[in-house]
Amino acid sequence: MGVNAVEVRGLSRSFDGRDILRDVSFTVGHGEIFGYLGPNGAGKTTTIRILLGLLAPGAGEVRVLGRDLAADDDARARVGVLFENNGLADRMSAAGNLAYYAGLYGVEDPAERIDELLALVDLADRRDDPVGTFSTGMKRKLGIARAILHRPEVVFFDEPSSGLDPGAQRMVRDLIVELSRREEMTVFLNSHHLDEVQRICSTVAILAEGRIRAFDSVANLTRASGRPAVTLSLAGPGDRACEVVGNLPYVTECDADGDHLRCTLADPGATPDLVAALVGAGFRIEEVRRSSRSLEEIYLEHVGQAEGGA
Amino acid sequence: MSTFAVIARREIRLALRNRSALITAFIFSIWFPVMSALGIAAGAEGDAAAVTAGITTITLPVAVFLGYLFCADAFLREKRDGTIETLLCAPVSLQRLWEGKAAGVTVPAYVMMLLSAAVSVAAISGLTGVSIAAEPLLILHFVAVVPIWIGASAGLIGAAQLALGMRENQILGFVFIFGFIFLIVLFQQIVPAESGISAATEAVLAAVGLALLALARFIAGKVTKERIVRTIP
Repeated sequence: MGVNAVEVRGLSRSFDGRDILRDVSFTVGHGEIFGYLGPNGAGKTTTIRILLGLLAPGAGEVRVLGRDLAADDDARARVGVLFENNGLADRMSAAGNLAYYAGLYGVEDPAERIDELLALVDLADRRDDPVGTFSTGMKRKLGIARAILHRPEVVFFDEPSSGLDPGAQRMVRDLIVELSRREEMTVFLNSHHLDEVQRICSTVAILAEGRIRAFDSVANLTRASGRPAVTLSLAGPGDRACEVVGNLPYVTECDADGDHLRCTLADPGATPDLVAALVGAGFRIEEVRRSSRSLEEIYLEHVGQAEGGA
Repeated sequence: MSTFAVIARREIRLALRNRSALITAFIFSIWFPVMSALGIAAGAEGDAAAVTAGITTITLPVAVFLGYLFCADAFLREKRDGTIETLLCAPVSLQRLWEGKAAGVTVPAYVMMLLSAAVSVAAISGLTGVSIAAEPLLILHFVAVVPIWIGASAGLIGAAQLALGMRENQILGFVFIFGFIFLIVLFQQIVPAESGISAATEAVLAAVGLALLALARFIAGKVTKERIVRTIP
């Protein structure tokens, strides 16, 4: 497979004279779990709708599996999608809903596949119950089963954790990871649950005010973004430690919180000097950790910059 | 099984599980023919041909209304709930989706219409003492003309419901119903029915029904996915 699973080049789109997407470009490799981040109204769902062929791009080009889904029924059969509403009919049973989509996608041996998926999402004992009697979390699990019923190569999840309690959010997150591994799917995860994205995604793009503000692997973003920092656990209060290291030329910031000290460094190689300075000042150090910034910090920085510049 | 059959079968199943629509359809299928029977019985004065003509006259408004009633579930609910978006991502053309849904709506509406016709016959026979013969034109009316009109009604309303926003849909629901009924009355006035069901009337009604069905198909072919998605509430 020479092409990327998803390719977006110079995508722009406006509604009623308002720019929603402006020159958006990114790619998603095969087998990746890609996180598409952005605040409400940033244009995430519009991007997904354009990729799925539901909306036309204003400018630019989009491809999923190298094809334009708007004009290609065969290509759409290789793609799955879960919108927030799950795409289920409340009056039909769990198995009935899956059987319907199995018919639309031409799934072979649908009965066997439906049984397999209902067991996987822990709904085998509710297979004949109307979906209207299900909890939100159960509907979401069934929606995920529906989205991957036809063994898609790429699956789009639009806010899969939205409206779920923390337990159900975790269940959905684990299910997505399990399915992506087991079914070898590329996952396009549209979310503003940063913790969820940081846990399961390999690559992310941050969208704000219609533009891509960051696009990289989670590891690179959290490591490279901003300045290096270390967190030190001291055997005692760290209040005075900031007075000691605050004036060192390679320390740009120092925060003490109880017996924890967090220092931002101008030079990533200065950690041994910092430790030596503290030991020399009589502090006893129990642990030294290189701290990377959380995705949340990076996200807020990019979104804040976008909003400040807008 | 073809995707058309898959979609149509699902709509039939959903209609059979839609208790509120079934109850409404059932009440209307009883109430409307009984009320109409009183008028027909008074006007026909025991003339069997006039009674038969009266029955065929009332069946089409019932058919149109039932098509509209079941459409609300097949098209409008799908849009209101947003589940249409998932369907539009399936490897099925929008035209095929519309055809399957319109066909799926037509079946339960037709069954209810037959119930309504049976009530009409029983009520009018009971009131006038006239026994209604199953003459070929009457059979043709129920086997061909009525399903064509239900299909046309469901197809037109369904296409409009896909294309329009929620507020416009509320207004147009009424416009469609009254428009259809007006057309039926108009054509039955124009075509000389004399004192009974006539081949000319049935031919004109069938032709108009087919024209409306073709119009519905044409309109459905013009609706785009973008239009549908952008009018989801």
